[in-house]
Amino acid sequence: MADPKSPLDPRFPGHGYDPLEPVDGHGDDAHGHGDSHGHGGVGKYVLVFIALCVLTAISFAVGNSQTLRENSPGAMWAMMMAVSCAKAMLVILFFMHMLWEANWKYVLTIPASMMSIFLLLMLVPDIGRRTNRYAEERWLYAAEPYSNSHAIAAEAAKTHDHNHAGPTDKAGHEPAAGHK
Amino acid sequence: MSHDHGHAAIKLEYQPALPIGRGKLCLWLFLSTEIMFFAGLIATYIVLRFGSPPESWPLPHDVHLQEYVGAFNTFVLICSSVTIVLALEAARSNHAGLAKGWMMLTFVLGSVFLGVKAYEYNEKFKHGIFPSKPHSLLYEKADLYYVQAVRLNLAPRSTALSAEVGDLTAKREPLVAKIERGQALSDQERQELENVNRRLLPYDLLTDLVQWTELKAAKAPDTVERRKALEMMAVAIYPRRPIGKEGEELEHEYVAALHRDADAVKRDLAALEKQRSVVEAERAEPQRMQAELQMKIDLLNAELKKLEAPPMTTAQSAPPGVNFISLQHPAENPAQPTANPRIEAIKMEVAALEAQVLPIQASLNLINERVAPITNEIKRHQGRLRLLPTLEQAKHGLNHEFPELRLPMVIPSGNMWASTYFLLTGFHAIHVLVGLIAFVLVLLYKLDRTKAHILENTGLYWHFVDLVWIFLFPLLYLF
Repeated sequence: MADPKSPLDPRFPGHGYDPLEPVDGHGDDAHGHGDSHGHGGVGKYVLVFIALCVLTAISFAVGNSQTLRENSPGAMWAMMMAVSCAKAMLVILFFMHMLWEANWKYVLTIPASMMSIFLLLMLVPDIGRRTNRYAEERWLYAAEPYSNSHAIAAEAAKTHDHNHAGPTDKAGHEPAAGHK
Repeated sequence: MSHDHGHAAIKLEYQPALPIGRGKLCLWLFLSTEIMFFAGLIATYIVLRFGSPPESWPLPHDVHLQEYVGAFNTFVLICSSVTIVLALEAARSNHAGLAKGWMMLTFVLGSVFLGVKAYEYNEKFKHGIFPSKPHSLLYEKADLYYVQAVRLNLAPRSTALSAEVGDLTAKREPLVAKIERGQALSDQERQELENVNRRLLPYDLLTDLVQWTELKAAKAPDTVERRKALEMMAVAIYPRRPIGKEGEELEHEYVAALHRDADAVKRDLAALEKQRSVVEAERAEPQRMQAELQMKIDLLNAELKKLEAPPMTTAQSAPPGVNFISLQHPAENPAQPTANPRIEAIKMEVAALEAQVLPIQASLNLINERVAPITNEIKRHQGRLRLLPTLEQAKHGLNHEFPELRLPMVIPSGNMWASTYFLLTGFHAIHVLVGLIAFVLVLLYKLDRTKAHILENTGLYWHFVDLVWIFLFPLLYLF
């Protein structure tokens, strides 16, 4: 078949087609590049699928474990984040084929990663510190810790101590104050 | 152009910027913008969630979030990622039919994901959790605005009942009295009581829950007690207890608190009834005096009647001042001159006695006025006592027992949670939908080797959608 005249046709010689992309008229891919197209690839994909399921199960178990949640929620969050990143890497490398792509992948991924990481870093100073600059009036209408309402409701109808010792919540703080 | 003044024609050769097809390059550029988009949203969620007042972020159980449903969705999406990769492989190997089959399976799995998402959203909407007002029934705090919202919800329903209230309460009175006397009800009576209570529920809640709380919040002598009343109402409507042992403990504490409340109400009721009987006792003396006076008045009136009773002759029908008849018939009315002053005297005595009755009547009226508010208080306390068993029965909250009432509920940081949850999952679901539309369009082709690049690009987009969900699932469901 003659070479197509239009440079817009993907079969135009010198057109920047993906050398791994099979082109009509050629036989099966004879390209090396260490890619695993063809029959071995399916096995790899199944393995990745199993790995993803296992990681999801791990993440689910960690997230639902009450002991971790009570003792060190930070560790729990870190573990779940690590699992998520691992799953993401598996999807990107294998399903999105990035493991076998040429160096152009860095042109896309590195700037995108830089921007994402920059975004993350810019927000780190704000994480967990939003309530540090709440005014008194803002605290009046802010949401309250969980345990407070239970403590207050449980104390309800008990004869009130006239020395105004007052009920305290589980952490030993006065319920009226909103600060923790 | 082939002869160009001596220059050889410059043959330009097309150099690709990146050695990939246009479609793939553009899609990767699009994906990097999408990465930034979702990175921004996820970072926002992290900042807001960890920036809420400590320990106030709602637990999944409170907002009807089921982790296993999210896990199932994750599994579905992972499967669909595998199937679309297998479709690509099949297309590259020129197995068009197989590729189409895998693509259809991917489409089905994506639809399953959206179906499950619709089920999840429905669970939230059913319980009044919406992204924002006015549909959202969430309040941050049990304060007076919340009480007002509950009142605004119940008042129209109660007004709609106003025609029947009289009849229904009349029906209920004897049954309730029977219970209070300690007698057992027959099955039919119990059924009837239940039906009446169910119909009167908005009215009862308005009086015994909302108004009780409002008055406690306004008039209780102690600020802590006022706060407690508001919290008790919020907990009665929607308890927000964690599942498991801790939740059960809190449930027992709540029931114990209800019992303590009942005891306090009973004590107050006893005190009120004592107070009322004291005031009622003051009636005795004036009533006795009034009775005495009334007896005297009645006697005198009877006498008066007797004196005035003899048949009226033309002589006696004449006005007393005119005595010309007596001149003519002196023998016929010898008694008249003597009866007249007697009648006068009686009448004056009656008038005097009635004058004495007036202040006694006035003091009795005063006593009535003093008793009336006490009676009202007693009625309020009795109503509250009647409500407490209903509250105890509705241990999972009035919102759970009677969802048709759509009562507002207090979930701290609930509105923030709802906004962020619906935003994140909503945008993701829109991307899934776009993916499904792309699948439909792709399925129109014959998916042989020439179309493999279309499949590749579609696959890249779909993998990205899966990637976002991989991050969203732990963030929204498990954190």
